[in-house]
Amino acid sequence: MNKRRNWAPFLLILPSVVYLAVFFAWPMFRAMTLAVWDDAANLQLHQEASSTSPAAGSLPQGAPVAILDRQGNVLAPEAVNDANLQTEIWFQIRSTGPDGQPVAGWAPEARVRVRESDAEGRPLAGTIRRKLAGDADPLTDVFASPSQVAQITGKLEASAAVEILGQETLELWYLVHGGEDGQPQEGWAPARYIQVYESGEVGRVARGDTGAFTTHYIQAMFNDRFFWPALLTTLLLMVLIIPLQFVLSIIMALIIQAQLKGNSFFLYVFTIALGVSDLAVGIVWYAIFTQYGYLNSILQSLGLISEPVAYLTADTRYWIIIAICLAELWRATAIVMVVVVSGLQAISSEILEAADLFGAGLWRRVRYVILPMLRPSLQVALILRTILALQVFAVVIALSGGDIVTVLANEAYRQYYDLRNINVAAAYAGLILLLSMISAVFYLRTVRSNEEASE
Amino acid sequence: MTTASMTSAQPSSQASAEMQRVRQRALRRQRFNRGLVYALAIVFCLWVLVPIWFIASMAFTTPEYVRAYPKGVLPFIPFSLETMRFFLSSQGIIPGTINSIIVALITLVLSTLIAAPAGYAISRYIFRGRDVYRLSILAVRAFPVVVLAIPLAVVFINFGIYDSVFSLALMHTALTLPTTILVIGSVFASIPYELEEAAQVFGCSPLQAFRTVVLPLVAPGIAAASIFTFVMSWNEVFAASILTLQNRTLPAQVLSALSQSSEAYQFAGAFFMMIPALIFIFVIRRYLFNMWGQISK
Repeated sequence: MNKRRNWAPFLLILPSVVYLAVFFAWPMFRAMTLAVWDDAANLQLHQEASSTSPAAGSLPQGAPVAILDRQGNVLAPEAVNDANLQTEIWFQIRSTGPDGQPVAGWAPEARVRVRESDAEGRPLAGTIRRKLAGDADPLTDVFASPSQVAQITGKLEASAAVEILGQETLELWYLVHGGEDGQPQEGWAPARYIQVYESGEVGRVARGDTGAFTTHYIQAMFNDRFFWPALLTTLLLMVLIIPLQFVLSIIMALIIQAQLKGNSFFLYVFTIALGVSDLAVGIVWYAIFTQYGYLNSILQSLGLISEPVAYLTADTRYWIIIAICLAELWRATAIVMVVVVSGLQAISSEILEAADLFGAGLWRRVRYVILPMLRPSLQVALILRTILALQVFAVVIALSGGDIVTVLANEAYRQYYDLRNINVAAAYAGLILLLSMISAVFYLRTVRSNEEASE
Repeated sequence: MTTASMTSAQPSSQASAEMQRVRQRALRRQRFNRGLVYALAIVFCLWVLVPIWFIASMAFTTPEYVRAYPKGVLPFIPFSLETMRFFLSSQGIIPGTINSIIVALITLVLSTLIAAPAGYAISRYIFRGRDVYRLSILAVRAFPVVVLAIPLAVVFINFGIYDSVFSLALMHTALTLPTTILVIGSVFASIPYELEEAAQVFGCSPLQAFRTVVLPLVAPGIAAASIFTFVMSWNEVFAASILTLQNRTLPAQVLSALSQSSEAYQFAGAFFMMIPALIFIFVIRRYLFNMWGQISK
């Protein structure tokens, strides 16, 4: 050990600290915020059509509004390509009016059909579009500046040829009026936050621009019809699998510790499952439990059943649970076993020999010597296993299709992938994190109180 | 059990007839126990191997035998590559396999590069915050890192790196990094620092000492850790399904096709996904205790 105080170790651990901060701590924080923070809860209104103008109240997402006025602000060239903005393009045009007088000014892109552009796609010339039949004014207004509220400099007939001198991109703003009866709110908001209905005079706040704390997503999670089945199944699987797994893994570890001839073969076989993908394990046990699978094949060859039994159906959920348990036992017992074996290796053989010498049988040795000395390892294995049990996912999908029997991780996946409810999915992720943390703290607490009791 | 040395450890001066009887009984019991242990060991081997045998039988026979009932096992049903070929020629499998390998290799390189210095630091230096660092690594190791795929997906979409093998590899690196750090740390810890010091006494620079003395000794352990990283990334399916759409990895591809696919596809896919585990666990089995045993210390 190098006890010299220097900066080398900090430099050496720095990359890992940075990496885990970026890809672990921060996403964890994001998971929490996604679950309880509504990014678009409220829409800030402004006194004028500018984001720098003073606030004039706010409206919640979804609030119905009346649209009183609209305005376009010329965008700075660097903001033109911002895809988030709702924009309108205006052309600076020059043409001849219906009376033969020259007309020059600005018209929105919607009124001009571009007929000619240069090599770079800049429009050079076009014609005025025909207005819809029934419009009161068949002529198209030309404005002094790129704005609907600017002074009108002239009018053009449909199909009039225009020369296009330049263009500007405008960001649209609406003057909206809405809110509860008691507290009417009125102010300007960028058009991208407002969904306008067909008439063009009313609409709703499509989304807000300021966030707020919300329990909406967590409520949505609790109210989801799959939530309680998923939570209960997850807990049931933990309760069923973990004790069995510990018994099996301790037996396997004792077998490995016995140093039989061919020990290295046994060790390899016992640990194979540790590296097998959980999806593959799920399919393997599906091959056994499916109606025309191996279990029925064996039972039928033995004459125990006369026709194949269907196990993995909605009417026989307990069989699905059994199959999931077996698959998980098959897959993850090896992890616990390895932890237990390394714990066993730390127990000095003198102690075991002494116990043997005093006539302690295998059971008493396990009960009074090995298990107490293994406690730290078992503890760690228990935490590890519990947290892994909360992540059971692919095995369940492979064995039940993810519908008949479902677990928390599967619901997170479904919310994210099938329903596109990222916030509710994050709520599930947060719940899994929370349960993991609770179980880890719980186990560590129990140990500490045990230690204190024994002191 | 571990009582083989008992007879020799016993001083013979106090050997009485009573003691002799006790000893013989112990020996008999020991032999009986040994037989029992063998039987148990074989039962457990069957428990692990029989399901693998089943799925291998399904993967290496003709589709007719996959559909047949009752199902047979190799070598009692004809051996054929037809099912496997059918699986490999299915849509998205070859690209998925290539993606899986790329993701796993990037993960392997990234996590080894980041973990090796950190592992060296925690095994060779005592520095302020070392215990906190070790403890946080242990905590991260035990955390369900995979569920972080959901918030990460949102971040990746915002940064425009969603649905790429590289961003998935970043996630997988976060997943494997704690394990890799701990394993590499324990590998370094198993090489006495005195060796490095001795090399320096004999005129090596610290870097030379590290390269010529320590590196050859730790290389197999680090290789084992890297291989395990590869296997973890190859197997991971939750984050892969969430973070990719077009560039699916193999498990994500199989998972998304699971409900509409034939049994031949599923069974051959399951065996195909197992292959790295079967090979690599054999290669690194000696180091597994470093890997998982570490966490309890």
